[in-house]
Amino acid sequence: MAQVSITSLQKSYGSVDVLKDINLEVEDGSFVVLVGPSGCGKSTLLRSIAGLEAVNGGAISIGGKRVNDLAPAKREIAMVFQSYALYPHMDVEKNMGFGLRFAGTPKQEVAARVAEAARILQLEALLKRRPRELSGGQRQRVAIGRAIVRKPQVFLFDEPLSNLDAALRVNTRVEIAKLHKLLGATIIYVTHDQVEAMTLADKIVVMNQGRIEQAGKPLDLYYRPANTFVANFIGSPAMNMVEIEVTGKNKARTLAGGELGVPLPARAKAGDRLTLGARPEHLTLGAPGKGLTGQLDLVERLGEVGYAHLDMAGGGRFIVEVRGDVKAKRGDKVGVVPDPAKLHLFDANGKACAS
Amino acid sequence: MRSRFSTIAIHAVLLGYTALALFPIILVVMNSMKMKRAIFLSPLTPPGPASFDLIGYHRVFSDGAIGTYYMNSIIVTLGTIFFTLLFGAMAGFALSEYKFRFNKLLGLYLSIGIMVPIRLGSVAIISLVSGMNMINTLSALICVYVAQNLPLAVFILSEFVHQIPKDLREAARCDGLSEYNIFFHIILPLLRPAMATVAVFTMIPVWNDLWFPLLLAPSGGKQTITLGVQQFLGQYVTDWNAVLAALSTAIIPVLIFYVLFSRQLIRGLTSGAVK
Amino acid sequence: MADNQQIEMVGMNRSAYLRVLAFFLAPAVLIYTLFSVYPLLATIFDSLYLRHEGGALTFNGLGNFQTLLTDETWSKPFWNALRNNLIFFIIHMCVQNPVGLALAALLSLKQLAFRNTYRTLIFMPTMLSVVIIGFIWQLILSPLWGIWKMGLNAVGLGVLFGPYLGQEHTALITISLISVWQFVGIPMILIYTALLAIPDELVDAATVDGLNQWQAFFHVKLPLIWPTIGLVSVLTFVANFNAFDLIYAMQGALAGPNFSTDIMGTLFYRTFFGNQLQLGDPTMGSTIATMMFVIILMGLLVYLYVIQRRIQRYSF
Repeated sequence: MAQVSITSLQKSYGSVDVLKDINLEVEDGSFVVLVGPSGCGKSTLLRSIAGLEAVNGGAISIGGKRVNDLAPAKREIAMVFQSYALYPHMDVEKNMGFGLRFAGTPKQEVAARVAEAARILQLEALLKRRPRELSGGQRQRVAIGRAIVRKPQVFLFDEPLSNLDAALRVNTRVEIAKLHKLLGATIIYVTHDQVEAMTLADKIVVMNQGRIEQAGKPLDLYYRPANTFVANFIGSPAMNMVEIEVTGKNKARTLAGGELGVPLPARAKAGDRLTLGARPEHLTLGAPGKGLTGQLDLVERLGEVGYAHLDMAGGGRFIVEVRGDVKAKRGDKVGVVPDPAKLHLFDANGKACAS
Repeated sequence: MRSRFSTIAIHAVLLGYTALALFPIILVVMNSMKMKRAIFLSPLTPPGPASFDLIGYHRVFSDGAIGTYYMNSIIVTLGTIFFTLLFGAMAGFALSEYKFRFNKLLGLYLSIGIMVPIRLGSVAIISLVSGMNMINTLSALICVYVAQNLPLAVFILSEFVHQIPKDLREAARCDGLSEYNIFFHIILPLLRPAMATVAVFTMIPVWNDLWFPLLLAPSGGKQTITLGVQQFLGQYVTDWNAVLAALSTAIIPVLIFYVLFSRQLIRGLTSGAVK
Repeated sequence: MADNQQIEMVGMNRSAYLRVLAFFLAPAVLIYTLFSVYPLLATIFDSLYLRHEGGALTFNGLGNFQTLLTDETWSKPFWNALRNNLIFFIIHMCVQNPVGLALAALLSLKQLAFRNTYRTLIFMPTMLSVVIIGFIWQLILSPLWGIWKMGLNAVGLGVLFGPYLGQEHTALITISLISVWQFVGIPMILIYTALLAIPDELVDAATVDGLNQWQAFFHVKLPLIWPTIGLVSVLTFVANFNAFDLIYAMQGALAGPNFSTDIMGTLFYRTFFGNQLQLGDPTMGSTIATMMFVIILMGLLVYLYVIQRRIQRYSF
């Protein structure tokens, strides 16, 4: 296994920059997940690492070796495609051993490695089947098997679960996490699903418009988002945000006029405009007049918990996590009380204020 | 939905036209197996025990050359199909797979031949072929037919290459296959159904062509079956048994082939010409 | 975006990339250029030269064309062939394509039993060699065998029988109809496929709107298959102005009787190879081939710039 480092990577299609100055370290044996909205460049980054796309600047190195100009096959990577990309005209066994055979690996070695991968993935009974005779989940395992067989330095996964149904997705996610432990493999994994990202990753890389917004441990991203984009992207429902004006030490008011006591950074001075963020799970509903003021629009009751959607005085909407059986009805005036220890503050540029 | 009456009327029209389409063919095949008297006295009855006679076929095959002509046609047709498919798939793959400066232009250049008949260049083709000392050779015919059929083959096959998922080719690149191996081990096997279509599609006009065999290989035992039968008919024009047998000899293999492959052929006609 | 489908090559230098391109493209491009494009260009080039006794060539500009169009010995056969060819084409357009359309319309009716069998059988003559078809019809029409005469007598039209292929005023029409008979399968199949591609909902919607089957066909389906009919027309045009085999097989290179069935293809063949009446003339042959090229090209341009632009295409 090997570490991957990416420095100042640039990539453009014509005049459109799709990757802008990407710097990323993937430690040996770690599981890194690239997330972001569609079109953010995460797949392009993965394909650049694979060597399926040429880059315009910067360097990619795998295991300390610069690989920019190497063909995909020479990079010691294996890729699991979103569509699985199994060769339709070959059975499972051939599919898995195909690359090795072309690399001139001795037959017995190929057979041994295929058998080993089949054992790990419980594909032994399916070895003679063609891809079209397999279910979605089985195809997915074959695709992973094909990657394992090559004993690559790095595994690359491109949205591997997006073609599976919801139940299978959860199972396969667990399987992939186990496999990572078992193989001790370095994995770079692209998804748009934040649950996959949170559960699988050692390190999450949030991307937006060709840039890395933040890279870090899943819970770091949750507790300490570096900016409003990450704050919005990680966590579901998304973080509530409201603009405030500093009025004094640890005192501020919303633009609608509500006074608010919040722990502010020391250098905040009166008149500063900041963005206050609070996750739905860190807010509670109180009597009107407490904290921020809002009017209840509807409650989504999911069972154990529920989400109250509020129209806030001064505009904007908040979502507050409540008990599933909360007694509240449309039109109720309520106060929204934040947990002061779990508030997020962002400056005018959307950057998190050091607290 | 439809009334009984209109259903019957529709079937009557279609049956009538089907009869019109098949009647001449059946008539010839039927009478080719009869005695001369029966051919003239009762042309519309199928051969019975009293009228059955294969004398016509006897004459056709005792001429000796028919077997050679068949062989020639088979060689020309198979040769044409082989090279059309191979070169067509290669070019179709390259045009749909690779980025290069003159990609679009080259595609356009190749597609001119879909609409402009190669026959118009016959004068120059003859001097070219005779300049290469290839008159009365089957290779000359194959070269011309491959050139004639390549444009459409490239067009259809590149559409099909386009439909093969990109991921598959990239997986193969990750697996370390060279571009050549990607073509021969991934693309070519997956193109098989499309190639069957193009093959059936290519085959018929080549087998039936009279023009180029007449121009390029009219003698020396290199005639194709179509030309051979045409020449034979000219010689034996008054021997009805022989004429009918010769015609049937030319018809029957094509009909057998057609019945076997009509699905591919019709699919080919539609997939190739729709755009 | 077709361009995004094409790959970028990482880890391959320019010369290796060019080798790959050459490997895949060269065979097709070379053989096509040598045996298709070059002969066509050489033919056009040849038509600009004059061949003298002994084989010497001199540049003659458009002189050959002038000769062809104005010199009585050349222009008479040329205009005759062109006129016959036009008649040949018009008969195809007026008989082959409407009949093909009608058959396709019937075949595409919903829940029609045996539709594939009909389709396969009606298409059968199209598969056979024109030479064979020509000969078969010659036999059927022959007074010697009398099949056609028998048929006419049976329906009480015996008086109409005549040596169709031997009379100047009937030979061309007869041959055209034989060609129509053979090739009606092509418009039928193409139009049939286009009709099948029209979603049933459209016809259902028309039915709900109160149209009967006929009205639904003429007001809903027909407008949607105009592009296919346009394509069928241009294919017919190209094939007709390139035809040769049937007339050669039935009437010989002289396209008798008295050149009444002479079309561009037979005129070209006769001019180039010569015949009992004249010696072969390669440059005039090239001139005629070039004229055919120009005619076909004009047909294609009309199709591309007039028909195809005017016709709205729909996707379902």
